[in-house]
Amino acid sequence: MRERLNLNIMLGKRELRPYRTGGLRPRSYNVLLIAAAAAIAWFAGCAIAPDWLAPYPPTEMSSDSLMQPPSWAHPFGTDYFGRDVLSLVVYGSRDSLFIGVASILIGGLAGGAIGAISGYIGGLTDAVFMRAVDVLMTIPGVLLALAVASALGPSLFNMVAAVSLGTIPGFARLMRGQTLGIKNRPYIVASRSVGVTRFGIYWKHVLPNSLSPLVVMATLGIGGSILTGSGLSFLGVGVLKEIPDWGELLSQGRSYLTVAWWICTFPGLAIALLVLSVNVIGDWLRDRLDPRRRGEAN
Amino acid sequence: MVKLPKTFKTAALILLLVLPVALSACSANNGVAQEGGSSGAAAAADPSPGASSAEASETGGELSYALVSSPDSLDPHRSGLSVSSRVIRTMFDNLVVQLPDHTIQPWLATEWTESEDGLSYIFKLRQDVKFHDGTPFNAEAVKYNFDRVIDPNTKGVSALALLSPYESSEVIDEYTIKLTLSKPSRAFLGNLSAAQLSIVSPTAAAQSGDRFGQHPVGTGPFKFVKWEDNSEIKVERNPDYNWAPALVDNKGSAYLDGIVFKIVPEDATRIGSVQSGQALAAESVPPQNVAALKSDPKFKLLQANTIGLPYTLFINQNREPWNELQARQALQYGIDAGTIVKTLYQGTYEQAWSALTPGMFGYDASLENSIKPDADKADSLLERLGWIKGPDGIRQKDGKRLTLRYVVTSPNREKRNDIAVIVQQQLKKIGIEVEVVVTKDIRTEIFVNDNYDVFGNSDVSGDPSWLSVYYHTAPKGAIGNMSHVSAPELDRWLEQGAVEKDDGRRAELYRNVQQYIRDNAVMVPIYVFPYTVATSRSVENLKFDPLGFPLFNDVRLTK
Repeated sequence: MRERLNLNIMLGKRELRPYRTGGLRPRSYNVLLIAAAAAIAWFAGCAIAPDWLAPYPPTEMSSDSLMQPPSWAHPFGTDYFGRDVLSLVVYGSRDSLFIGVASILIGGLAGGAIGAISGYIGGLTDAVFMRAVDVLMTIPGVLLALAVASALGPSLFNMVAAVSLGTIPGFARLMRGQTLGIKNRPYIVASRSVGVTRFGIYWKHVLPNSLSPLVVMATLGIGGSILTGSGLSFLGVGVLKEIPDWGELLSQGRSYLTVAWWICTFPGLAIALLVLSVNVIGDWLRDRLDPRRRGEAN
Repeated sequence: MVKLPKTFKTAALILLLVLPVALSACSANNGVAQEGGSSGAAAAADPSPGASSAEASETGGELSYALVSSPDSLDPHRSGLSVSSRVIRTMFDNLVVQLPDHTIQPWLATEWTESEDGLSYIFKLRQDVKFHDGTPFNAEAVKYNFDRVIDPNTKGVSALALLSPYESSEVIDEYTIKLTLSKPSRAFLGNLSAAQLSIVSPTAAAQSGDRFGQHPVGTGPFKFVKWEDNSEIKVERNPDYNWAPALVDNKGSAYLDGIVFKIVPEDATRIGSVQSGQALAAESVPPQNVAALKSDPKFKLLQANTIGLPYTLFINQNREPWNELQARQALQYGIDAGTIVKTLYQGTYEQAWSALTPGMFGYDASLENSIKPDADKADSLLERLGWIKGPDGIRQKDGKRLTLRYVVTSPNREKRNDIAVIVQQQLKKIGIEVEVVVTKDIRTEIFVNDNYDVFGNSDVSGDPSWLSVYYHTAPKGAIGNMSHVSAPELDRWLEQGAVEKDDGRRAELYRNVQQYIRDNAVMVPIYVFPYTVATSRSVENLKFDPLGFPLFNDVRLTK
């Protein structure tokens, strides 16, 4: 009993310490991080309660105020239907964020599970799963998403499915590598020798220790998924929704670039800002969670 | 430590992620499906400024001309797209030519006579014409062409429709041919001037078979050089050319050494290529760029209004509740085409009022302004049918929501998809929920599955008998009658109009047709498409035929 406890403390749980005890220190706050968090909070606010933040209904058209440059009444100008661009950006955040987060959740869970099972069980299962993932990997993510989205037809959920499918291989590979690396460590061998079940070892030692890179990758991946989602609707594979998302705004506004730059500049900036913010947070998370970088981050 | 470089890395990563998306987007619109036999333009008058001032111009040079989309085939008998016709026109000639005043003049045929019963035509042909491959042009060649059009293996759609009711032809002597029709047709002679009924080289057509569309050989002022898929089509001057039609001044070979048609689907890129000098001309100028180009002395803006069928929203009568007249009338009152045209085209396109465009024979001008958008009327019509507004503002009846499936195509040509976005808002006001569906596969969605309540289309034609394709009772699955209207009186007028010899009586028949279509809310007309071309100042004498297809015979480039 004592022996097992010691083993746990000495070999297993110790590696969990960084993110338990490595609390936020004043020094790791920086302007960029705060700005990123604020931006994400604002976009989240836009997605949750757009009607509070948008000055006009996003579908309100007016043939009297077509393509007006930014002004006090319309801070981001108006588009070629006479709609307020700021309101469109605010309302458009919902779909963009939803696609980004949902597809990473689905892709991360599915990919993580595949990777974990492959890595931990090994043998034939590993071979089968990994060959399947290899096949998926040979197709570029955007192309795969494009193919799936066109095959399934236009809808928000199909778009999420299309984007998440492309993220599965990355997660699966990462998780498998982590699992393989951990399952042969001496403390795992030791746990096994004292009679812990395979599942018990996995649940208590392997899974917690392999999760942190996955979390970092998922955070960084959200940015990529938002871009892929926007790219898909930019290419016109998406649904022609009543309230367009950012990719659609960008796509529809681009032919007006020479006469009304604001129509696609502001949605473009919104995409850039959100992706940048998510990546800054992802970077910071990586510093926090990666045991090998513990020294650097502190 | 190292905080800053990491941020830079992040920024660089974003750039890398954004770039491919942006780049691939630029090329993604290439090579997508186009709706069959639609759009186009027609010039009632030659819009190019004065056909004189040739002293500063020189012979030679290559004209680069940017097109919106890629032709599907350069085989005149197989393609129905107007973009194909623009290129086909440079390489092929017809038996006859139609002038802006609707008269028919000689081209490859020198003279012709129509039999008393209207069932046969005898054409005398020019004797000095040779195809690009050296094959002589004669009565045999003409017979081969028309028999090729009606050969089921050719699978021509537009050409076949234009040539009907052609039955057979008989070679009388080397330069005389007799065409026999199964029934009289007023449109037949005019149709022979259509690009789809151009005369192709029999030798080349027999040799290339199905691949003739990639290796076209005709008698036109330019010869085919090469076609790089989704990139460009190149033609060069035919030095032997000496048989140009009455539409152009230069009857001999063209002044240009050649033309390069570049395929540039992106509006901003296409117009930008003229502004930056990469191309000398670009078609289909978006309305938002028109004003700037007009005021810039370095460029010319040529515009020609179309004749044919305007861009029309067909209402599918096979589907409920649109089989009921009052429901369709609600759409007629609910859709405000005036606002659509004003918003999207900023005065560069005209609003359409009828099933025909102004300038067309038989056009009924009394329909103009005859229906005003009226949301209250639309509301009461729908209420009378039992559609009552629910809590979310959408009407319901027996637990069913009043939705309308509006199918649009990709890419967004002439802002047609933006029309859908506006209609969606306009119909929401009268309690109809519009679902806008974007598809690239129109054939399946519209003609096979019949899965739409509203679908828009336009067509180019020189004769009102073309209305039969869209409004005559049609068998199930036929391409054309998209509203599925089927009315005995409509059929009768259309059939009579096709053969009626008295012009006054004929015009009246077509007025009846147009009024029936308005009164029965068969469709909602939206806009008349002007064919616009932006050119550099140096391009002179670019002309258009009555259907709006560019003519390059007279074009000169000044230095």
